[in-house]
Amino acid sequence: MALFKRIESAIDGSIGRRRLGYALLGLVILFFLWFPNDTSQSNYVKTVFISGFFYAILSSSWALLAGIAGQFSFGHMAFMGIGAYVAGLFARDGITFAALGIALTPESISSVGAIVIGTIVAGAVGLVIGWLLLRLRSAYLALFTIAFSELFRIAMLTEYDYTGGSNGLSLRPLLQVADVDTARQIEYYLMFALLIVCLLLMYRVAHSPIGMFLRAMREDEDAASALGVNVVRYKILIFVFTSMIVGLAGAIFYSDIGSERIIPEQLEVLQMSLIIAYAVIGGMESLLGAAAGAFISRYLLEAMREVVITLPLGLTLPDGSDAFVWETGAWRFALFGLVMVFTLRYMRNGLLYPILDWFSGRDLIMQETVSIRKSDDDVAADMEDSG
Amino acid sequence: MSDIQLELNQISKRFGGNQAVDHVSFSVTQPELIGMIGPNGAGKTTLTNLMSGMLKPSGGTIYLNGRRIDGHAPYEVTRAGLGRTFQVTRALNRMTVMENMLVPGLAHNPSARRDNLQERARDILSLLTIEHLTNEYSRALSGGQRKLLELGRLLMLDPLVIILDEPFAGVHPRLQETIYKYIDRVYQDGKAIILISHNMGAVFELSHRLIVLNFGALIADGDPQTVKNDPAVIDAYLGHDEDE
Repeated sequence: MALFKRIESAIDGSIGRRRLGYALLGLVILFFLWFPNDTSQSNYVKTVFISGFFYAILSSSWALLAGIAGQFSFGHMAFMGIGAYVAGLFARDGITFAALGIALTPESISSVGAIVIGTIVAGAVGLVIGWLLLRLRSAYLALFTIAFSELFRIAMLTEYDYTGGSNGLSLRPLLQVADVDTARQIEYYLMFALLIVCLLLMYRVAHSPIGMFLRAMREDEDAASALGVNVVRYKILIFVFTSMIVGLAGAIFYSDIGSERIIPEQLEVLQMSLIIAYAVIGGMESLLGAAAGAFISRYLLEAMREVVITLPLGLTLPDGSDAFVWETGAWRFALFGLVMVFTLRYMRNGLLYPILDWFSGRDLIMQETVSIRKSDDDVAADMEDSG
Repeated sequence: MSDIQLELNQISKRFGGNQAVDHVSFSVTQPELIGMIGPNGAGKTTLTNLMSGMLKPSGGTIYLNGRRIDGHAPYEVTRAGLGRTFQVTRALNRMTVMENMLVPGLAHNPSARRDNLQERARDILSLLTIEHLTNEYSRALSGGQRKLLELGRLLMLDPLVIILDEPFAGVHPRLQETIYKYIDRVYQDGKAIILISHNMGAVFELSHRLIVLNFGALIADGDPQTVKNDPAVIDAYLGHDEDE
């Protein structure tokens, strides 16, 4: 502890915690940029990373919606699905607006165009849902969004003529690269770039006056409104914004970047629960915490599919080996559940919160406040003594 | 009549069979310090909610600075110049004291420089003797400090009319003095204040005019001494001396 305090003082007296934090963040980004060039890494590991980036977008955007804005929605995966399904259907079937005399054939719609349309439609549905949710809070909001999410999933499952039902819908591939290794590398960078762009956009919103209004709404909608905050506008705005973010992420990820098809199973409440769990473990009031929580959780869940257990004390199995492979199956999710229980009970702000909080230097500001308060108390005591 | 800032005309509010506010009319000029009293359930808080846009009236009109505000959203009423506090303090708990101050500052003036708003916030917090808590989360504040913070947030809005709902409830006497000074300062700055309180000493000491509600209706409106001796007010709220 004394050593830690000494290191802490040395950092505070030199580079400063915040700068050190940014420097470390820069190193993490450099690592991710270098990683695909490591020839010892298989395409499978890169695929796991791509999936990690995707879930990092989903969890961090949910953290913005629920953790920062206080809108505890279970509809996030549905909006992701809307982006993916709409992009896929547009690219496959095109669309005709007879009244306007506009006919878009599949050939006239590019993959990027389909993704843009999917993103816009996700935002438009977010607008409607946001409006319908205006008067709903806490449990009612959660129940409404679960119902909406299930409604969408069942519609996608049932309308198999259009959506492929349980087999899912293949989206038009975004990239046409013959070489598998090169394709995987480009897909990796594309998803990583998308994560960075989404995080920057969300960070900008969270640290703008809008972000402050959103947090005020989270704390007390009536009080925020009485302080001049247009609650209706910002509630709808955050639904549209996060819906578009996950709609875009879904449309890109399932355009053969992370997966070749979207299936209704991905829209189940269980999947939504995982997004929430990642955000809770990382820190649902921190975009970076939620993103890191999602990425690390996804990686560990993959890494734990098969665990090699070496027997201690020179013990051997009947076949003479001193180790065996445990195929964890669903048990890894049970372990993940335990981590979630621990987090909620003991570290409600997330496992990464103490680290992020330390780098923010907030405790230094608090110490300063406390020292001023002590001085005030001393002054008050002096006044009483002299009085 | 150009100095009338707030005007209520025949304002009513009915919840099912309950007439919570019954055709109440009065006007508020600037500056003016009005006390609003009445027994529990008289309709004081409902009337506050009607004036601040939290509730839509069943009938009647409300004008603020010549602009009709009844039925408008609370944020519109606030931006039009009417600020209010709540009977049960509503601090934004997981935000710092400074952030609590910046929310109304930015909502009122989105293009303002944050440095300027922070400077203004510090001045107000200093007036309220809680400047040392600037970086503290408001959940860590005592009940009295939270009341002061709520009062401070109002000043960031620079309102024309301020409604203070039970500002002295559960507040330590030393902090009550700070609230007295605050009310006096705000009045001296030329604002209209409606003070709702069960603290009769404070209401009679501070108010220049008294409004009394009972069963949702306005039963008296005048200078405090006259109202104090009004038989209807004595019957409804103040009561008779035991030896009478």
